[in-house]
Amino acid sequence: MSAYLAQVWAARYFWMHLSLSDLRSRWRRSYFGVLWTIIQPLGLTLLLSLVLSRLFGADIVRFSVHILSGVVVWEFVGACCAGGSLSFVQADAYIKQFRQPLAIYSLRTVLTATLVLCTASLAMLGWTLVVLPQNFGWSWLAIATLYPAALLIGWPLATLLAYSGARFRDLPHAMGLVLQACWFVSPVYFEVRMFREGGLDFLVDYNPIYHLLQIVRAPLLDGLWPTATNYLFCFGTAALFGIFAIFVGRRVERSVIFYL
Amino acid sequence: MNAPRIRLLNVDLHYACSAFKQRSLLAWIGERFRLGDNRTQVADIHALRNVSVDIGQGERVGLLGRNGAGKSTFLKAVAGLYPISGGNIEVHGELRALFNLGLGFEPDATGRENILYRGLLLGATPTAMRAKEDEIVAFAALGEYIDYPIKTYSAGMQVRLAFAISTTVGGDILLLDEVIGAGDATFMVRAKQRIFSLIEQSEILVLASHDVGSLSAMCARGIVLDGGRLLYDGPISSAIEEFKRVSELSGNR
Repeated sequence: MSAYLAQVWAARYFWMHLSLSDLRSRWRRSYFGVLWTIIQPLGLTLLLSLVLSRLFGADIVRFSVHILSGVVVWEFVGACCAGGSLSFVQADAYIKQFRQPLAIYSLRTVLTATLVLCTASLAMLGWTLVVLPQNFGWSWLAIATLYPAALLIGWPLATLLAYSGARFRDLPHAMGLVLQACWFVSPVYFEVRMFREGGLDFLVDYNPIYHLLQIVRAPLLDGLWPTATNYLFCFGTAALFGIFAIFVGRRVERSVIFYL
Repeated sequence: MNAPRIRLLNVDLHYACSAFKQRSLLAWIGERFRLGDNRTQVADIHALRNVSVDIGQGERVGLLGRNGAGKSTFLKAVAGLYPISGGNIEVHGELRALFNLGLGFEPDATGRENILYRGLLLGATPTAMRAKEDEIVAFAALGEYIDYPIKTYSAGMQVRLAFAISTTVGGDILLLDEVIGAGDATFMVRAKQRIFSLIEQSEILVLASHDVGSLSAMCARGIVLDGGRLLYDGPISSAIEEFKRVSELSGNR
């Protein structure tokens, strides 16, 4: 395993540059360019806060920060799952020519998504400073831990999906459905209290998406530090996906090329 | 460090048929309701059968065989791309493989950016690639197009660029799969010179080709493959004879 990671590290210039290239090509020839990462979640938040705060009977100011953090983090989850399942299929031309550890291609996807997450966080921080300035404090330092946590969960997850996506071409199509299902059972837009009031505590307490979101929501919404449980769940999920990815990778890494 | 060497011992290689079997629901329904007798059987392909070869330092080896004989599979197995299902492959030395040259570009990135990416994939560092950039641009003769996105390039331009990049970074062992037919006539002449100098620098050359002329010019040893089996291994002139005999046999069949 360490030899494998050493190969990934040796190819670092390649995947780092390709990630940057993905970002560049995403905004190539667009007038607002990278600003879209900030405009898009803000626009969506404005719209959703206006409508949903009324529907859910929530305080619009607090709810807008809830929605914005949900939008930004969910975008990352979606990019890892949807993009991850296609990581190897789209890199087929490289895979067929050069012998490199395959995980560099899923890392490329996840790194791109993480960089987008970083940029979009600026919108989240800026907006919260405007509407909830009283929450600003040392606990905001915890937000910096979101990115390594996201990367550590996202990379093995995307790698797993990429292995399966190369073999089972239905996976990218099914992913949309699965993501939607996950969205509905997670407090992404819905508030935590709605789950609790409905007696669905387990959908919050055992949901890694909730715990990942808490890393930013605890400081932004309440000026509090995330709890140890939040981190335990995040890194536990990362470890679980990691072990699973290593297990699957050991068996199928070499034969992926036949399925491309 | 050991001297460059390639050693294959009783190598078998299967392509798993599940990789190319039609698996859609529609195909399955179609198969169910059709009469059973015209159903096609798809089985695992035994692409290399019990192949043993030992190639040492300084050898120039030509791979001969008809289409589908296993030449590309042989090269890709040596390059470590395809997993073997039996036997053993040992490779000592830095490998450089030139297959499917036109593939593997980022279509939205410019030619210059792609020089960097492909170079990095070949194991070079960003600084090293930037130092070689001008030389690659000059060799590919793309002029101002080098700053245009790759998707605006013609097929010939892409191959020229890919060739220029891939041949800048050398290695101890050079694996070539029919790459000498790249680009237009003037480029071909320069490409051939470049290949020759790359071959001179390399310790081992394995070249798969149908071009008997360039094989006998470049290689001393010839390996003939047929149906995944090693048919002949010896001096290139006899190998070419053997290859012609096999081709004629199949032509008369």
